[in-house]
Amino acid sequence: MGFTRRRLLTIVGLSALAGCTSSADLGSEGAPATTAESSAAGSGSVSGGAVPTAKETLKLPMDPGELESLAVSGGPPKDGIPSIDDPSFVGPDGAGFLDPGDPVFGVALNGDVKAYPQKILVQHEIVNDRLGDLPVAVTYCPLTGTVQGFERGETTFGVSGRLINNNLVMYDRATEAWWPQILATSIPGPWNSAPGTRSLREFGLVWTTWEQWRELYPDTQVLSTETGFAKNYGRDPYGSYNPPGGYYANENTLFETLEEDDRFSRKRVFMGARTADGAVAFDKSTLLEERIMTGELNETPVVAVADQRLDTGYVYLNPEERTVTTDGSTVLIGDSSYEPDALPLAGIHTFDAMWFAWHGYYPDTDVYA
Amino acid sequence: MSTRNNVPLERLGAAVSRTLAAAIEVFRRPDATLVVVGTAVGYLLIYLYALGHLAPGIGGFDVTVVSGALEKFFQPELGPFSFTPVARVSVGPVTYLFSLNTVLGLGIASLVGLNLGLTYLAWRQPAACGIGSSSSGFLASIPAVLSGTACCGPVVLIVLGIQASGIIVTAFQFLLPIAVVLLLGSLVLVGRQIDPARL
Repeated sequence: MGFTRRRLLTIVGLSALAGCTSSADLGSEGAPATTAESSAAGSGSVSGGAVPTAKETLKLPMDPGELESLAVSGGPPKDGIPSIDDPSFVGPDGAGFLDPGDPVFGVALNGDVKAYPQKILVQHEIVNDRLGDLPVAVTYCPLTGTVQGFERGETTFGVSGRLINNNLVMYDRATEAWWPQILATSIPGPWNSAPGTRSLREFGLVWTTWEQWRELYPDTQVLSTETGFAKNYGRDPYGSYNPPGGYYANENTLFETLEEDDRFSRKRVFMGARTADGAVAFDKSTLLEERIMTGELNETPVVAVADQRLDTGYVYLNPEERTVTTDGSTVLIGDSSYEPDALPLAGIHTFDAMWFAWHGYYPDTDVYA
Repeated sequence: MSTRNNVPLERLGAAVSRTLAAAIEVFRRPDATLVVVGTAVGYLLIYLYALGHLAPGIGGFDVTVVSGALEKFFQPELGPFSFTPVARVSVGPVTYLFSLNTVLGLGIASLVGLNLGLTYLAWRQPAACGIGSSSSGFLASIPAVLSGTACCGPVVLIVLGIQASGIIVTAFQFLLPIAVVLLLGSLVLVGRQIDPARL
């Protein structure tokens, strides 16, 4: 029975793009968070104002009720995968449990710089935390390879135990509405049958390695393994990223995908961005190689730029089709140079996603590889 | 109740009492006891490994007990028969998680061990009758696998490359009880063939 050992466990998760700006101020080196002006905090919140939502609602691939009908039990009950609600942090020297190549999810926002190790989040999927004075939820779905940050107001998010498109379905503990992670939009569920359709306010987290994050942010805080739970953070039930193996590197999915597509392998990583108007995805490895790629999001020109400091990328709306180039270390627009995450264009929340997951939710996505 | 209806019950009673007598006999013989204990310990280790409760960890030497351990002890975690670990023991490269599953695993391991112990007795018994030696060991292995799989949950399907469905996920919750019933059944099946008087 040794074959079973590395991959027991379970599932859940979800998030999406709000299309609107977060009310949070980005740190000077934070990733672009949104496309539009910040909406008033709490406006348009779900069922009584518990969860801050964005002014614009993201596009859903189908009717919310139909999405609910596609939810499957991933195995664990509600909160069977326990969110971390009282996180503690250590300095970089206290993170001896991380190897240089281990993936971490980094954020620099509101004066806080934090790294959330994948090896901890794979066992919890949600961390209810604060960045500065902003209550946030950092969410990770191992089965779709998606990391998304959300404002949470004064409530917290938990893991529902259900999956749609193999992707985490979160619920908020104030209204118990379902929030599929990638979609980041409320849909009906068994605990709240009419939550309305609203999208969460999102902020970006960077999927990078511990070595790269620490080099860029030597004073970063790191989520501690002292989570209040008796978990073995040396064991990933699905596979391994360092080196790549198991679920993360093969073609299997736990449940059927929403859409089949043979253009790319299922687990290939794309940098995805979406607004209320549509979605676009850039192949991550191609972007890191070419540094700058252009494309369209539902006919609006966009540009994707790589950030080689962290091996990530950002997508910007570029309706005026300004020429964006690179001199090798910075990005050039006209005569001025910028850091990749700070172009004078409207940034769209961009995050890594496995191809099957992105295409499942956004079958009409523009895609560049 | 007619006499005829009592016949199967009487036969079952006789088989059970024979099994009990044989089980007692197992522990009177050092070689059979060794088979029971060795099998049980081996099974428990594999069970905990399959469950992920005994596995390589992040290193160090540390014992952590979660707050509210008693309350959480009976809380299901990843499935109906996968319970919340309440303590973590890290010893160098190995990390052990203590949960109700260790207790359950110990129970199943004892049944598996006893099955093998009785099989051993049946094999050693002079002129033992019937199916004893080969098939009972096989019988015990099926529930042993089932019980391990039950705790792993549907994610075990990832390893096997099988896509899950609602029916399969639902079926998982029945695997552990089925395993226990099968183990008890095979125990009686083997035990009834052993005549303590001939040992």
